[in-house]
Amino acid sequence: MTKKLMKGSEAIGEAAVQAGCHLFFGYPITPQNEIPEYMSMRLPQVGGTFVQAESEVAASNMLYGAAGSGERVMTSSSSPGISLMAEAISYLAGAELPVVIVNIMRGGPGLGGILPSQSDYFQATKGTAHGDFRLLVLAPWSVQEAANLVQDAFDLADYYRNPVLILGDGLIGQMMEPVEFADSREPIKVLPPKTWAATGHNGSKPRSVINSLFLDPEELERHNFHLKEKYDRMERDEVRYEAHGLDTDYDVLIVAYGTVARVCLTALEELAEEGVKVAMVRPVSLFPYPSAAVREAAAGAKAVLVVELSMGQMIEDVRLAVGRSKPIHFLNRVGGMLISPDAVIDKIRAIEDGSSEEVRHA
Amino acid sequence: MFDKRVTVLVGHFGSGKTEIALNLAMDLASRGLPVTMADLDVVKPYFRTRSARGLLTESGIELLAPDGSNLHADLPIIVPQIRSHLRRSDRKLIIDVGGDDVGARVLGSLSDVVPVAETECFLVVNFRRPSTPDPRSAAAMVRQIEAVGRLPVTGLISNTHLLDETTLEIVVEGLQSARKTAELLDIPVVAAAASEVLADELRTVIDEPVLALRRIVMPPFDMPKHRAAGPLFVVN
Repeated sequence: MTKKLMKGSEAIGEAAVQAGCHLFFGYPITPQNEIPEYMSMRLPQVGGTFVQAESEVAASNMLYGAAGSGERVMTSSSSPGISLMAEAISYLAGAELPVVIVNIMRGGPGLGGILPSQSDYFQATKGTAHGDFRLLVLAPWSVQEAANLVQDAFDLADYYRNPVLILGDGLIGQMMEPVEFADSREPIKVLPPKTWAATGHNGSKPRSVINSLFLDPEELERHNFHLKEKYDRMERDEVRYEAHGLDTDYDVLIVAYGTVARVCLTALEELAEEGVKVAMVRPVSLFPYPSAAVREAAAGAKAVLVVELSMGQMIEDVRLAVGRSKPIHFLNRVGGMLISPDAVIDKIRAIEDGSSEEVRHA
Repeated sequence: MFDKRVTVLVGHFGSGKTEIALNLAMDLASRGLPVTMADLDVVKPYFRTRSARGLLTESGIELLAPDGSNLHADLPIIVPQIRSHLRRSDRKLIIDVGGDDVGARVLGSLSDVVPVAETECFLVVNFRRPSTPDPRSAAAMVRQIEAVGRLPVTGLISNTHLLDETTLEIVVEGLQSARKTAELLDIPVVAAAASEVLADELRTVIDEPVLALRRIVMPPFDMPKHRAAGPLFVVN
C-alpha cells in the first residue's frame, strides 16, 4: 500500500481496523483523542461499531461484553482513564478475554498534565488492578512500530486469551511519521477457533460462560495456577527487545524504551562519532521484560544507564536483571518535560569521568 | 502571494499549516516586516505555534496565543487580542487555524471582524495524509472549511511530503493532485512547499512559486541543535 504520513493515533486506529477489529468503545482524554476520533470515522466504513461511552468505566465493561462474543475489540485512553478502567481490566484477565487496550501516557499523578510521560510503567507491568494477573505490554518507539505492535497485539490477545496493553508516551500518539501497511497480513500465532465465545447456545453445544467469579476456592486456585502458566509461557515466548551497538566494545549500556530510546539513539550515534562507545537495549515488551538481554548486555559494560520519563520505575526491572554486578545510573525528566540528546550525552560523559552518582541500593 | 494584510492558513489535520505558518512568519520578519502570528489551534494538543514562542520572540514576531499556565492546556482558548488585530492593525497578521472543519469553526466565530478584502485564505494540503488521498476529498474539505470558517479559500498550498522520506517525485505527484483540486474549485495553486533540500531542484521542474521550508516543528530526537529539555516540540 502507498506510504502515508500518519499521526500515531491514526496509525493505531488503522492498524486495529486492518487487524479485524470492528468494535471500539472509548471515552475522550488528551493526548489520545485522535484514536477514538479516527475509529468513529473509520469503523462505519467497514460495517463496524464505534461507541463513545459515558465514562471509561462504561467503555471498559462494554469491552468485556463485546470480547465475550469472540469479536476483536479495542479501547484506548490515557493514564487517568486507564486507572478508571482498572477494575474491568482485572475482570477481563480473570475471564480470559482477548482485548487490546492502548494507553497513551500523560504526566501524573492525579490529573497531572497533557504532555508526554512514561509514568504508568508500574501500572502497566506490575499493578494495573487487583488480583494475580498480568498484561502483556508492548511499547513502540515509532509510529510504524505502533501500527505493527497493535496488529500483533490482537494475535497475542487471541492466542493467550489475555488483555494486551500498548503503552506509548504522549509523543507516540501525537507525532507524525511515514507509515506503510502490508496489503495482506498473516497472524503471528496459530489461532484456534474461539469455541469459548458466547455466541449462542442453540441447544447443540455446551453453554459458553464468560465469568471471573469463582466461589469455590479449589476452583479459583486452579484458575490462578492456570493463569500463571499462561504468564510463564509469555515470559518464555514473547520477550521482545532491540539491541544497538552490542557488537563492538562499549563502556556504558543504556536501557530505555519508547520515544526516549530514540533520543538515546541520537546521543549514542553522536558519541560513536567521537569514539565514545555506548550500547543500548530497548525493551519492546515490558512484560515479559527482556531481563536476560539486559543482563547479558550489562555484562560487557562498566555501567548501566536507565533513561526514563518517570521517577525511576524501570530501574527495578533493570536491577532485577543485573543485580549488584554493575553500577546503575539514572537520567529522567517528568511532568511533560522531555530529555534531549544533549542531556544523554552529558550524562554519559559524567559516568565516564566519575562525576555521575550511581543509584543507591535499597 | 502573502501580500494581503491577513494570511489565513487552513487545512486538514496534520497538513502542515503550523510548519508553513512559522516559516512564513520567520521569512517575512527577516525581511523587516512587522509580523503578528495568531494561534487559533484548538484541535491538536502538541506541536502548536505557541510552543515556538521563544523562537518567534527572538525573531521579533508578536504571538497571539494562550500563555502562562494555559500554554499547555487542551482548552479551546481564543485570546481576545485577535479580534482587535483583525479589525485594525499596521502589522502583517498570519493566522494558524486548527485542523479540519472542526478547527475552522473558530475562524467562523471571528467572521464579523475578518476583513475579507484584505485577507487571503490558503488551504494547505498533503495528499499523503489519510484524510485527503485525492483531489475530490481535498475539494470536499475546502467546501467544509469554507462553510464553517465563513471565509472563501482563495488558493492552495501544495505540501505533499513524507518527512525525511520525501522525494522530488512525491512532491511533484502531490502538486499534480493539488492542480486538479484547484481546477475543481477554480482557484490557483499559489505555492508548492518543500524542504530546503528539495526546493532548488523543485524550482527547475515546476512553474508555481516554491516555499522552501526549514523544519521547525519536530520531536526531541530529531532536533539538530539548541536541544532544550523543556516541553518544546520545536527548535527553540
